[in-house]
Amino acid sequence: MGSTHTYIFVIITIKALFVLGGEKFDDVEASCNATNSDRVEYEYNTDVVNSEHIITYKGYFSRSTRENYVSAALKNAGVSNWTLLQRNNPAKEYPSDFDVIVLEDGRRRALEALRDHPAVRRVTAQRQVQRTIKYVREDDCGPAGCVYTGWRNHRARDLNSLRRPRENGYTSRKLLRTVPRQITSVLKADLLWSLGVTGEGIRVAVFDTGLARHHPHFGRVRERTDWTGEHTLDDALGHGTFVAGVIASRADCLGFAPDADLHIFRVFTDNQVSYTSWFLDAFNYAIMRKIDILNLSIGGPDFMDHPFVDKVWELSANKVIIVSAIGNDGPLYGTLNNPADQMDVIGVGGIGFDDRIAKFSSRGMTTWELPYGYGRMKPDIVTYGSGVRGSSVTGGCRSLSGTSVASPVVAGAIALLASGVPRQHLTPAAVKQALCITARRLAGPNMFEQGHGKLDLISAYQFLREYEPQASLSPPYIDLTECQYMWPYCTQPLYFSAQPTIANVTVINGLGVSGQVKEVSWHPHLPHGVLLAVAVQHSEFLWPWSGWLALSFTVLEKGADFDGVVEGHVNVTIESHGDIGEKTMRNQTLMLPIRARVIPVPVRSRRLLWDQFHSLRYPGGYFPRDDLRAKHDPLDWHADHVHTNFRDMYRRLREHGFYLEVMGSPLTCIDPSLYGALLLVDPEDEYFPEEMAALKKAVDAGMSLVVFADWYNASLLRHVKFYDENTRQWWIPETGGSNVPALNDLLSMYQVALGDRVFEGSFKLGGHPMYYASGTHIHSFPEHGVLITAQLTDQGHQIMTGEKPSTGGGTPGSGPTVDVPILGLLQTDGETRDYTNDTIDKLPKSGRLVVYGDSSCLEGGAARPCHWLLLAALQYALVGHLPSSLKEAAVPLQNRVRDVHIIPSELPQRAEGGRLHMYSRVLSSDGSGPRAAPSCDRPEPAPAQPVHAPPAARTLAPHHPPTDPKSIGAPEIEGTEPAPRAWRGAGAAPSRYYAAAEPPPASLYSRAGTLLAIAATVYCLTALWKRCGRKLRRRRLMSLAT
Amino acid sequence: MLLIYYACPYNCHLCFMVLNEYFFCCKMWYAALVRFIRRRLVLGIIFASSLTYCIVSFLREGSSRNMMYQETMIERKPFVWRTLQEHKDSNDSVICRNSVQGRLLLVDDRGYVCHRNDLMRNGCCDPLADFSRRYSCESCKDNNCCVIYEYCVSCCLDPSKRDLLELVLSKLSAEENVLFRTLTDDYELCLTKCRTSSHSVLHENSYKDPTHKHCFGHELPRSRTPD
Repeated sequence: MGSTHTYIFVIITIKALFVLGGEKFDDVEASCNATNSDRVEYEYNTDVVNSEHIITYKGYFSRSTRENYVSAALKNAGVSNWTLLQRNNPAKEYPSDFDVIVLEDGRRRALEALRDHPAVRRVTAQRQVQRTIKYVREDDCGPAGCVYTGWRNHRARDLNSLRRPRENGYTSRKLLRTVPRQITSVLKADLLWSLGVTGEGIRVAVFDTGLARHHPHFGRVRERTDWTGEHTLDDALGHGTFVAGVIASRADCLGFAPDADLHIFRVFTDNQVSYTSWFLDAFNYAIMRKIDILNLSIGGPDFMDHPFVDKVWELSANKVIIVSAIGNDGPLYGTLNNPADQMDVIGVGGIGFDDRIAKFSSRGMTTWELPYGYGRMKPDIVTYGSGVRGSSVTGGCRSLSGTSVASPVVAGAIALLASGVPRQHLTPAAVKQALCITARRLAGPNMFEQGHGKLDLISAYQFLREYEPQASLSPPYIDLTECQYMWPYCTQPLYFSAQPTIANVTVINGLGVSGQVKEVSWHPHLPHGVLLAVAVQHSEFLWPWSGWLALSFTVLEKGADFDGVVEGHVNVTIESHGDIGEKTMRNQTLMLPIRARVIPVPVRSRRLLWDQFHSLRYPGGYFPRDDLRAKHDPLDWHADHVHTNFRDMYRRLREHGFYLEVMGSPLTCIDPSLYGALLLVDPEDEYFPEEMAALKKAVDAGMSLVVFADWYNASLLRHVKFYDENTRQWWIPETGGSNVPALNDLLSMYQVALGDRVFEGSFKLGGHPMYYASGTHIHSFPEHGVLITAQLTDQGHQIMTGEKPSTGGGTPGSGPTVDVPILGLLQTDGETRDYTNDTIDKLPKSGRLVVYGDSSCLEGGAARPCHWLLLAALQYALVGHLPSSLKEAAVPLQNRVRDVHIIPSELPQRAEGGRLHMYSRVLSSDGSGPRAAPSCDRPEPAPAQPVHAPPAARTLAPHHPPTDPKSIGAPEIEGTEPAPRAWRGAGAAPSRYYAAAEPPPASLYSRAGTLLAIAATVYCLTALWKRCGRKLRRRRLMSLAT
Repeated sequence: MLLIYYACPYNCHLCFMVLNEYFFCCKMWYAALVRFIRRRLVLGIIFASSLTYCIVSFLREGSSRNMMYQETMIERKPFVWRTLQEHKDSNDSVICRNSVQGRLLLVDDRGYVCHRNDLMRNGCCDPLADFSRRYSCESCKDNNCCVIYEYCVSCCLDPSKRDLLELVLSKLSAEENVLFRTLTDDYELCLTKCRTSSHSVLHENSYKDPTHKHCFGHELPRSRTPD
C-alpha cells in the first residue's frame, strides 16, 4: 500500500498516445486536464486527511443513534465544533457501523473522548486513497491554476464513495483494486498455444519507438528499420518495447503470438517527434513487405491529414489489418483519435480488469460527419488496457496503462488467431467482423464508449475458422429506445417536425475490397411503423472493405399525436467483386432492424435548437480553445456537439424536460416558430445575411435567443500564434474562442455588442461559485435590459504584457479586478420586467435575448459548470420570468451610467489577413464575402414497403453465444492462472530461428560487467597506492633518522 | 515475536558460543583472502584484465553506435530489369502480380490497366477486354505525375521510360533508401514509386498537388500554392 510508483514521461508531439502507470481507480480526479499534455505522471499514494476521522462503532446503529453517541461523548469533553459528514447515497437510510467526523479544534481531546465511549470500537484517521494518472503541465499549474481540477467533487474520493454505484448505471460493484495479471491468460491465449497456434508465419509490424537489438524477450525480430533519421533502431522510451512485448514476448511477461515475425518500424524519435512523411514512407515499405497485421499505438486529432488518412486506406486495401489505439483523452466525449476512428481500422478502447471502461479511454462518436450528419460508432472493441504487464527496456517486466496497451493486446490476439485459420480468411474486414460479432457486451457503457464490447479471443478464433465471406453492419441494429447502450438516441424520443435523428451505420464488407450498396429498402412493420420515414444515404463505394450508411429518421405528420413504439427494418443489398478471376459479382442482403419511440409533439417552450452549423473546429484551421490557459492543448477539437463535449449540458437539459434538436443546416432551413429558443454557444463561423434577416423575423415572432460567447481580440490572436512542429508552420488562430465580430453583427439589431477585452476570474453568482475562463464582456446594452457584473481580472492585458497570471485563480485581492458586465437579459421590444405574475397573453409577443460572455463553463470537464445559469437563462428566455438568483445580482438601474455605461473598451475587429474563409461554411473561399445561402435539400425518404411482422423481441441485439473452449479441441487449462511458458511446455514447436540465434548478450549483463571491472580497477589502484605510499613514507622517515 | 522472547533465556548462552566460533572462522578466512588479493602479482593481473575488458567493451559500444538504420533477417534479391519479352509473355501458364488495392481499376505486371471485372484467374488483366489499356498514361501530366495510381504504374512500366527509371533508381540507391534497396524488379519499382510518399506532402498534412499526386519521375509534384 505504501509504495509509490512514479513514471514520468515527456510528451511533445500531438501524435503520441501514452498513458503510463499501473491500474487506477475510476473515481479519481484527473488533475489539470485529460487531454494531451506536456508531462504525464503516474502516482499511487494515500494521505491522511487531517481534520477527518472515521469512527467505527461496535454494532450497526441508525443515524440518529450514532449522532447521539457522538454528541454525548463530545459534550463531556467540552468540544462543540464538529460535524458528521452526511453521506448522500441510498445507504444513509440503513443502520451503519461507521461515521466520518470533521473536527475543527480540540482534536486530541475529542478523539480521546470518542475512544472512551462504550459504543465506539475505534477512531481512525481518514485516509485519502488516490491513484491517478496525472497530467502535469510544464508551467506546473497549482490547484487553482488548473482549470480542470476534477470531474467530480472532492468527496468522490473518500471511502464512502467507493461503494457508491456509478451514476451511469453500473449494477455490479467490484473491487477496484486490480492485480496485474498475465494478460495472455486472462484472454485464454494459452488455450490456443496448447493447440499449437502460436502466431507462426504471421508478419506483424510495430510502428513505434523501436526495439533493442538483443532484448531477451524476443526471438523472431525479422527486421528493424528506422524512419526518423536518428540512425538508431533502439528504443529509448520503452513504449515500443512494451508494445512489441505484448504482441510477441516469449519470456517472463508473455505476449500473445510468440512465434510471429516482428517487423519493427521506428517512426518516433526519442523526443517523441514524428511526421506524416515518415509514416508515408514506412507504410509504403510495410505494403511491399506484405505485412499482415500492423499495430499503431499512436493517434492524433487530425483526421483531415489527407496524405495520412489516404495512406491508411491504401494499407487496408492491400490487405494489411490495421489495429490502432482510440486515444487517451477520455473521459471527455468527442476525443477519438485518428487513425483509430477510420472505418477500415480496428479502433481499440481500454478497460480495466474490473471490466469498466478505463477513464483515459477516448470516447464519443466520430466527428468527421458534423455538422450535416452524425458520427459513427467507435471504438470498435475494447480490451484490457489498464495495469497490463509487458516488457520493459531493461529486459524485465513493467506494468503500463493506456489505449496504447489495449491496441497491441488486440493486434497480438489477431496475430495469434490468424496463424490458426486459413490464409484466405485473413482480410481486414473478416478479422474485424470476427472481433466485433463475437465481442462480449459490457453492461453499462454505451456504444460510443465500448463499441461492440470486450474482446473474446476464443470465440473470435472459432468464428474466423469457419468464416464465410460476408458483409455486416456496425452496429447491427438500431434500437432508439435501448438505454444505456444506444445512448444518446434512447434519451430523446422522436416526434413530428423535429430535426431528423441520424444513425450512421458502418458497412463492413467481407465480400471484397471494393463493393457497392446496390439497393436499400425500408419495410415498416404494421400497424405503426408507417408513421416513421427513413431517408438513406450511403457512400458511393465500399472501399476499402468498408463504407457508411446514414439513416435519417423523421416522424410523418400523421404521427403528430402518436405515442408509442414503432418498428421496422431496412434491407441493404451489398454487391462486391469477389476473389481474383470470379466473373460474377457477390451479392448479399443484410437486414437492419429498427425500433424507435414516438411521442406527441412537445410544446414550443420545451423545444430548443442547438446551432451546430456555425461551429468550426480543429482539424482544419487553428481554432483555439475557449480557455486561454489551456496552453497544453490549445486546439478546439471536441466538435462542440451536444453529444460530445456538451454532453453534460445536454443531460442536464433533458433532465429538466427540454427537447434539444441539433441544427446542422443554416438558420434559413429551419422553421423557427417551432422552437422556444435558439442556443448559440461558442459559434466560430460568420452568418449569411439571409440568416440574420430570418433570425430577426423569428425573434420578433417569439423565439428567444440565448448566446454564450467567448473571447475575441485581434492583437491577442496574433499573440497566441505558435509554431507547430508537426506541420512545420506557424499557426495563427482563425478566430478567438468564438467569433465575436460576427456575433456583434447579429446582435447589433438589438443594440447589444460584446467588447474586445478578455477577462477571467472566480466569482459568485446567485449563490453558485463560478469561474470565468477567458471570456468576453458586454460592451453596450440597451438601458431597459438587465445587466449583471462580476469582479474579474484582465487576462488579455496579463497575456499581452507577459505578467504572471494571478496564482489565486482570480480570488479577491490577487490582482487588480474590474467590475465587468458579463450577463445581459433583454426583452427585445420594450421594457424588461418580470412577467411571472402576469397571464400568458400579457407576455410580449417578441422573444427575449440572453447574452453571457463565456462558454467554457458549459463544456464537459469544466471546473465549475454553469448549467444552472443556462437553466435560469432559459427560464427567462422562455417564460419571461427572471429567477430570483439573477434578480438580486442585477445592477440596479440608478447605478448604471447611460448606455455605454460599461468599462472602457473597443468593439473587436476582425483580424487583418485572417484565413477564416478557408474553413468557413458561410464565406466563399476566395475571400470575397458570404457565398449564396445553400438550398435546404433534405434527402428523400425511402419509399415505405410495409410488412406484417410480429413484434420483435425485447432486445434487437443479435446473440452470439461464447465459444466453449472444449469445442475447439483445447485441453482444459485453468485460464485465469498465470501459466508462464505454457505455449512451449504444451507442445508447440520451439522456433527454429530462436534456436539458431546466439544467446542474447543482454545489455544489462555487459553493463554490470563494465561496472564491476571499473570497481576492480579502482580497488587495485588504491591498494597499490597504499602499499607504495607506505614504502615511500617509510623511506622518508628512514632518511630523516639517518 | 512472543515465541522468541520466551525461548531466548534458555538458549542464549549456546547461541552466543556458536556465533563466536563462526565469527572467528570467518575472520581467519577473510584475512587470508585479503592477504592473497593484496599480493602485487594478483593485483596486477586483476588490474590488467579489467582494463582490457573496459577498453574492449567501450570499443564495441562505439562501433555499435554506427549501426545501420536497417537490420533485416530477410534475404535480399538483386534488382532485375525485366525485358520486353517478359512483358509480352502472354501464354496461359503465366501468373501475374497485380495491384490489389484499386477501387475500380487494377494494373498487372505486364502494364495492363483493367477493370476489376476483367481480371482473369491467373491475376492478369484480360488484354482483350474493352477497357484494358497497356502502358496507358491517362490522367498523367508531363512531369510524370498522375491522378490515378493504376495509370501511373502502367505509364511507368512503358519500356520507353526505362532510361528515366534507371536514373531514378540510381538516385535512390545513392540515397541509401531503405525502401528501394529491397526492390527486385521494375514492376515493384513502379508500384512503389507511384505511391504517395514523403515527397508528396506540403506542411506534412496536405498534398503538394492534391490531384496529380502519384508520380514516378524524379521530379517532385509541383506545389499548387505559389510558395
